[in-house]
Amino acid sequence: MERRSFLKGFGAVAACAVALPHVASAAEEKKSASPMAMNFETAVAAITGGKALVASAKVKMEAPEIAENGAVVPVKVTVESPMSANDYVKAIHILASKNGNVRCANIYLTPANGEAFFGTRIKLGGTQDVVAIAEMSDGSFLTAKQNVKVTIGGCG
Amino acid sequence: MKTLIKIKPKNYKAGDIVKIDFMAMHPMETGMRKDKDTGNLIPANYIDEVKFMFNDTLITKMVIWESLSVNPLMSISFKVPGEGTLKVIAKDNKGQSVETTSAINPKG
Repeated sequence: MERRSFLKGFGAVAACAVALPHVASAAEEKKSASPMAMNFETAVAAITGGKALVASAKVKMEAPEIAENGAVVPVKVTVESPMSANDYVKAIHILASKNGNVRCANIYLTPANGEAFFGTRIKLGGTQDVVAIAEMSDGSFLTAKQNVKVTIGGCG
Repeated sequence: MKTLIKIKPKNYKAGDIVKIDFMAMHPMETGMRKDKDTGNLIPANYIDEVKFMFNDTLITKMVIWESLSVNPLMSISFKVPGEGTLKVIAKDNKGQSVETTSAINPKG
């Protein structure tokens, strides 16, 4: 109930960097000066260090094709891997390509996880691609993406 | 910050892979939203780091940003090595930190 009333009160008028970029000019200035502000390409480069991204069926992403409420979009990522000491998924990165801050979460896994899985709920400001990048222990980067159509933007 | 750890399924044996759900009651303010009454921007306030430890050994570290939903849920897999204590440490960008523990108690 707390969440519901919260969203009711603020969700409708939520100022969002994607939908209403002019609203927060002062904050934008501050943001662009900080390392937090990154466009999608820079954020990907920061993760891969310039290495090639390989689209792979080993990375499975579960996200809705149409999200009625952008404030709560469930995302689950599973990466096929034995998760042994020599062959495991080092990290899973989740990015929302058109959010104010494209980076959502970096998850650093260890073989103790037994399975490379991460599930969460994210906010999406509008229709966009949600991208998962898996960093493998051999230094390669696999990726998968899914387009999510957002009916009501949910930055806020 | 209220937190909750759920382990699914409830009954598991050593060697099983279980799902650990970690939930935190947190506003996850993006810093881009305006206060309805005053028109001022609400400062950013979000959880930026979560660590999952088992018997004080790091299993998973997460660096997260404001794009996660209000009252965020984080779910990972964990291969149960045996009895012990699971500890989750969550920290937000204002320095507020909370530790949550849950006993790992495999049966059979």
